Amino acid sequence: MTLNLRAVSKTFGGQRALDGVDVDLAYGEVRALVGQNGSGKSTLIKLLAGYHRPDPGCVAEIDGRPFDLGNATAARAAGLRFVHQDLALILSMSVLDNMMLGRDYPRRRGGRIAWRAARREVSRQLEALHVDVDPLVAVGALSMAERTLVAIGRALADTAGKERLFIVLDEPTAALPKDEVGRLLAAIGDLRRQGHGVLLVSHHLDEVLDVADTVTVLRDGRIEASVPRREVDHDRLTELIVGRPVVQPSLAERAAAVARGSGRPALSVEGLSGGRLATLDLDVHPGEIVGVAGITGSGRESLAPLITGGLPRNGVVLVDGQPVAPGRPRAALAAGIAAIPGERARYGLFQNLNVRHNLTISRLGRHRRWSRIEVRPERAEVEEWIERLGIVTPGPEAPITSLSGGNQQKVLVGRALRMEPTALVLDDPTQGIDIGARAQIHDVIERCAADGMAVLLISTDSSELARLADRVVILADGRAGATLLRGPDLTDTSIDAAQLQSVASPIAS
Amino acid sequence: MANRLRTLRLPGLSNFSAIYLWAVFMVLFGYLQGHLFLTVSTAQLVFSQGAVTAVLALAFLAPLTTDTFDLAIGEVMSLTIVLLNYLPQKLALPFPVIVLGVVLFSGAVGAVSGFIVVKLKVNSLIATLGMSEVLSALQLYLSQNHQVSYTFSSSFVKAGNGDLFGVPYLDLYLLVIAAGLWFVLEQTPVGRRMFAVGGNRDAARLAGISTDRVVWGSLIASGVIASLAGVMYTAQVGAYTSDIGQGYLFPALAAVFFGASQLSQRPNVWGTLIAFFALAFGIQGLTLQFGAGTFWVSPLFQGAALIVAVAVASTRGAVGRGGDGRAVRRVLRRRRDASPGDGASGGDAPPAAEADAERAKVAARAT
Repeated sequence: MTLNLRAVSKTFGGQRALDGVDVDLAYGEVRALVGQNGSGKSTLIKLLAGYHRPDPGCVAEIDGRPFDLGNATAARAAGLRFVHQDLALILSMSVLDNMMLGRDYPRRRGGRIAWRAARREVSRQLEALHVDVDPLVAVGALSMAERTLVAIGRALADTAGKERLFIVLDEPTAALPKDEVGRLLAAIGDLRRQGHGVLLVSHHLDEVLDVADTVTVLRDGRIEASVPRREVDHDRLTELIVGRPVVQPSLAERAAAVARGSGRPALSVEGLSGGRLATLDLDVHPGEIVGVAGITGSGRESLAPLITGGLPRNGVVLVDGQPVAPGRPRAALAAGIAAIPGERARYGLFQNLNVRHNLTISRLGRHRRWSRIEVRPERAEVEEWIERLGIVTPGPEAPITSLSGGNQQKVLVGRALRMEPTALVLDDPTQGIDIGARAQIHDVIERCAADGMAVLLISTDSSELARLADRVVILADGRAGATLLRGPDLTDTSIDAAQLQSVASPIAS
Repeated sequence: MANRLRTLRLPGLSNFSAIYLWAVFMVLFGYLQGHLFLTVSTAQLVFSQGAVTAVLALAFLAPLTTDTFDLAIGEVMSLTIVLLNYLPQKLALPFPVIVLGVVLFSGAVGAVSGFIVVKLKVNSLIATLGMSEVLSALQLYLSQNHQVSYTFSSSFVKAGNGDLFGVPYLDLYLLVIAAGLWFVLEQTPVGRRMFAVGGNRDAARLAGISTDRVVWGSLIASGVIASLAGVMYTAQVGAYTSDIGQGYLFPALAAVFFGASQLSQRPNVWGTLIAFFALAFGIQGLTLQFGAGTFWVSPLFQGAALIVAVAVASTRGAVGRGGDGRAVRRVLRRRRDASPGDGASGGDAPPAAEADAERAKVAARAT
């Protein structure tokens, strides 16, 4: 045991974020840190990074020597390295330049950069992680997994004279397409073999179970469990995180709605193409949840923007048989298609506005009187949505940025639902949010379908599709491949397998 | 719920710094130059001289809410002035018709800027900078680089120089324009959409907002308001000289940026006006202190005050703790909006701090 924390607490304004937490991390160990949002994970990481100071009375040691927890300089000197979710890479700059950020380039006489030496150095560091990329290529041209590896490589390159480091990976797979996750997990294995200690923070329990040696579960600021990997399985881990046994809700109610929902489709696309999508025909009936899966590059990521007008398209989109003008989100909304865009920070949120403004922006006419917005009824409506969707916020006037990711996403759900759409298009609606919020959003989606809305659920999360969808269309090479129907065989594994087969089969034939 | 009542917010140093600054000037120069500074005539002078520039500031504010710069406002204003002096000599039209025509023409100039920004997809800073030079050329062509003057009717001159119970008419116009802009920005769907476009253009489009129309419209509004500043200038001063436009641009911009750090901490009407007149009184005080010939006082003071004011707003709350000042400040700002003791942030740190913390890391690593 070489990184030891004992009795670590942190209080924010009277609230205990961490309460007497003990954590150990050894060199050559991968320890997973799991827990819902608000369980204290990020507080713990920020203490390690020196962003917060702990409450007095804790003990922190590295290699048997006391370590000033909460001091960024001490953390760096002690060999703690951090790779945050956003990676902190500059996409327009080369791999080389990104790797050298925060360090001095090797120099030649007169202060010129010794490019060849720098390139050799960077190549060597990348090879250690089995990343085969040209150091002169812009980071923006790399796959998401490669970017993550570059960020890890950069963190490790800052050795501070140490052979072995402690590296904290904060949700490294959250932004990764499914097919690239394996590559990152392999790299984590490499880190372990090289003798580094890895603290892996993740919502994805499968990955955790795949790669971790030990698992620490935080709940409400306390350690719920700290056990070797082999002592837990997926269900047990979920129970530890949530604090109660997980019950799968019945799907019977919606199955009935689907039976009713045959007849004319509410949303239908014919010969849709654009972006990565070559051509697609698809019908969604009222009350039906149609899932769409596909690996990155299959056209999956283009589908939602094509339907909702975010991208220009060819082909026909019909709502209740009426054509929808292409390329204009406004027209799609007016026609009855509401969407929850992927990448909510980039395509969904107005960070300069509060919860109320964010929720009502798509339709401001409802509370307009004498050309001005009447704030009182608007606020009352937003409070209803907060109640209905279980949005955790101090109130409608709270800045949207003060909400957790899951609650921000619920605000976007509210924005879409208050349009009373005929069809709801969701693009990875629960990406990067905690289990509780995920379950709540799933409930809302089911309720919408039960009320007769046509739901198109595009997702990289196979278990989400397996839980919700009536059928799942697998995209491959810009076209519809297999379709999996609801039944005992519709599981996350079967969806994963279908996606992988869709890639494998053209090569095999 | 305290968070509902914005007025319950305590006046913090930062988002009311302009008011404090104003008070400091009044006390300081009142002490140094009491017999001259703390007089009705000084106040009238500052308010009447400042009205035109304050309206110009509002012209800059309108498109800024959509994250669009309009640097052509100074030249739109001086183009209005040259046209109002030039056209009555050439056209036998009633003067009000000419005024209306010139204001509409300025709106059209804004529409052209809008076309360049929206359709030709030129960065607004570049588009309006270019536009500004083109308008300057038009003025030089019309004026042949000479003063242009016209004998205006006494009623027009009075409209620019009279007062109502001691309040200059010009300030009444300013208040009307400011109230109108405030109403649009803060009370109507249009204003809400403008701030949404300014906050995240992609998200605004996906949320069903016609972002192009919003940006375009804000530039037209900017042209019209800048032209109104020109009409007010003409009523107050009269003749056109070729050095008018650019000299008015900086004070207007400074007031908007300083003002954006005030009150609601985004570009806003009253913050702009308070910031503007706080600076104007400071300059007046300095001018009295150092004598009338010290023309260098004004730009020095404007520049320094802008930097200091915005710096104070940017570094507020950077209290020890070794964290990044900006991140801490943002957290504090959000904390204030949230009602205390509410469990919104769960057991964790204020979630907003997460993104900030990451950004802070980027900053730390990049240096």
